[in-house]
Amino acid sequence: MSYKALLTYALTGASTAALIASAGMASAQDYPQRPIEMVVTFGPGGGADLMGRQMGRLMEKPLGVSIPISNVAGASGNAGLTRLKTDAPDGYTIGTLISLTVASWASGLGDSSVDDFEVLAVVQNSPSFLFVPASSPYQTAEDLFAYAKENPGELTVATSGYGTQDDVTLKLLAKDGVQMENVPFQSPGERYASPIGGHTAVLYEEPGDVAQFLKAEQLKPLVVFSEERHPAFPDVPTSTELGYEISGLDNFRTVAVRAGTDPAIVEKLQSAVEESVASEEWQKFCAETYSCIEPVTGEDAQKMVQDFLQLITDQLAS
Amino acid sequence: MQTIDLLFAGFASAFQIGAFLTVVVGLLVGVIAGALPGISFVNAMAMALPFTYAMNVTHAMLFLGGIYVGGVFGGSISAIMINVPGTPASLPATWDGYAMTKKGQVKRALTIAVTASAVGGLASALMLTFLSAPFAKFAMKFSQPEFFAATVLGLVSVIAIAKDKPIITMISLLSGMAIGTVGVDPLYGQARFSFGIPEVESGIRFVVVMIGLFAIGEVVDLVATDRDLRPKKADGKMAGASFRDIWNVKGAIARGTGLGCMIGVIPGAGATPGAVIAYGVEKQINPRGKEFGTGVEAGLAAPEAAKNATTGAAMVPLLTLGIPGSAATAIMLAAMMLQGVNPGPLLFIMDPSMVYTIFAAMIIANVLMIGAGVGVAQMFSTLMRTPPAILAGFIVILSLIGAYGVRNNIFDVHVCLIFGVIGWAMKRVGFPSAPMVLGVILGPLAERYFLTAVANSRQDYTVFFTRPISATILFLALIFVLWSLWPSVRSRIKRQPA
Repeated sequence: MSYKALLTYALTGASTAALIASAGMASAQDYPQRPIEMVVTFGPGGGADLMGRQMGRLMEKPLGVSIPISNVAGASGNAGLTRLKTDAPDGYTIGTLISLTVASWASGLGDSSVDDFEVLAVVQNSPSFLFVPASSPYQTAEDLFAYAKENPGELTVATSGYGTQDDVTLKLLAKDGVQMENVPFQSPGERYASPIGGHTAVLYEEPGDVAQFLKAEQLKPLVVFSEERHPAFPDVPTSTELGYEISGLDNFRTVAVRAGTDPAIVEKLQSAVEESVASEEWQKFCAETYSCIEPVTGEDAQKMVQDFLQLITDQLAS
Repeated sequence: MQTIDLLFAGFASAFQIGAFLTVVVGLLVGVIAGALPGISFVNAMAMALPFTYAMNVTHAMLFLGGIYVGGVFGGSISAIMINVPGTPASLPATWDGYAMTKKGQVKRALTIAVTASAVGGLASALMLTFLSAPFAKFAMKFSQPEFFAATVLGLVSVIAIAKDKPIITMISLLSGMAIGTVGVDPLYGQARFSFGIPEVESGIRFVVVMIGLFAIGEVVDLVATDRDLRPKKADGKMAGASFRDIWNVKGAIARGTGLGCMIGVIPGAGATPGAVIAYGVEKQINPRGKEFGTGVEAGLAAPEAAKNATTGAAMVPLLTLGIPGSAATAIMLAAMMLQGVNPGPLLFIMDPSMVYTIFAAMIIANVLMIGAGVGVAQMFSTLMRTPPAILAGFIVILSLIGAYGVRNNIFDVHVCLIFGVIGWAMKRVGFPSAPMVLGVILGPLAERYFLTAVANSRQDYTVFFTRPISATILFLALIFVLWSLWPSVRSRIKRQPA
């Protein structure tokens, strides 16, 4: 091999190495360079979809790239998470991770665990309520619970399914003597239509998803499952006030990336999320859906999701 | 009187140049997307959703409404021309529509289809405008037992439309229902037939099955048998349907429209059961019912009218109650909510001008659809002149994109290809594939409604017979199945030696 050829090899090798090194550095520093995909783990039109779209739209400004939405629906949100887990951890795929999906893990669905994801921030949180149709014979929580105690299993409650936080709440109530029948409705539209049409006695839901029915006074909130009263519903008593210790089962929605993403990129995404949450548009959006919170980030967010999963797992096992 | 005033104001704002163009563009996008095999109007609406961010909420609804109206019709163009339904609701159009094409009457078939669709759509838009309040009340009377009964009627119709082989049809339908059970069950959240594979937990979607069985299956058959779809020279000159042709099927259109309006208003039903039930009913009522499947005009007109009649009807529960009954109306709901508008009874009080602009636009869209439908059909007939091999490649690519686009999942593409092979095999041995697709659509619905109805009545299984509407529909379904099976039973009895 000639001296010249050797030199060429050496130079090529060195420059390639330099190129790779600089590319490695560039990825965190110059991030983002191209559009970031937002994987919404449910179909268009639901609460997770609205959150993902709103967040994607607002994050475009601080990040300076476009954020197209992909709805990857199926298996209670686990299909979309599979996508989030298998795409490269380069920060170019972000996704929605919500409490309903986390609860489904407790029933053995999906193959994900909290450690597979880095939760950027919990951006929405809302306790659930029991609602009755305006024409219901039970106009207070006391009336409702008293009837349920005397007639176990006679009242029906529209929920999102078995093995969800809805189911756990009803199980906890049943332990305290308030036994009501869980009636799962997979389609949100049918879940709301049934109590409004008078076919189901009660609805378990977070207020944001039924805002239009609350404003039209077709549904009436009776009790909030929380330790504190909800600021938007100051007249609605809490489960704690009524003597039922049921909390920690709030509906939360988060934005997450795959675990193992460069910390510098995570930090950039996190600050973009926080900036979006602080925006006037987001504040208006979360106020309308009764789900505003100070974003929970980092270790705290991870712990919040883990604790929720633990609570559901324990309750379903008992 | 107030309705008329508001409607005139609605027309005035819908005819403003910006609004009008929005409807027209939406309509064209819908017809083209619907006509492309693999791309359904639901895909098109989901893709269009980000574009509505920049519009005001009325324009957003006009755009999506245009795509919806155009797309529900568009699916029939490819169904009639190449036997590949663009959307599941166009399945019945392949039975008599494609049969007409084979007889060289493609133009007549398309004209009848577009007219019937427009009449059905227009009637349902008018119903939405003038009768949405009573129809919303009617819809609220329906609960899970009634939904179940209606789905049973749909399943029974599938058997009723089988010409002379009810057993084979039944096998096809039942295997479709079995395929529909794959994935996470709707109530308990338990995975079924997933064999521990996470992708399978997401289930098998009917659109993917349909694209596989029909589009891929048809294309493989096209290439394998070296058929030529190119129209013969004489076809070009052939006239479309005359006014007389349309007048002759007025009964079929009227019945289809009526059924479509009733079925569309029920949340959860929608265009596909509407079209299938209308075909089944027409086959029984029409004097030429026995010839259905060989290219009878009424057999094309009835389901076409019914499926477009569900469009306006499906918007009744959305606008009056804020309850979306289908994937298409759920996307409309998202478009409104993203702009901070909550549909429901308050919308009529707070923003009647918007509601009536939407009403006016739905009426306009259905009238314009005749032009758009004929125009796009013309475009497609030009496309048909391309050599089959090129056309086949084009359809395969679109189908795979469509299968992927259902929920952005590569797993669906694999499923689609597998069903493509199955579809071709079924075609070769003469095993009907339409009942299988309908089984995949209706099976999971029936299961979900049944389980929820039973839970809601505290495990009382008699609920289906004690509720008057549910009992009536189930009784109708029973009569329907006896009525449709009677001829073949009778002929069998006759054949028995005395």
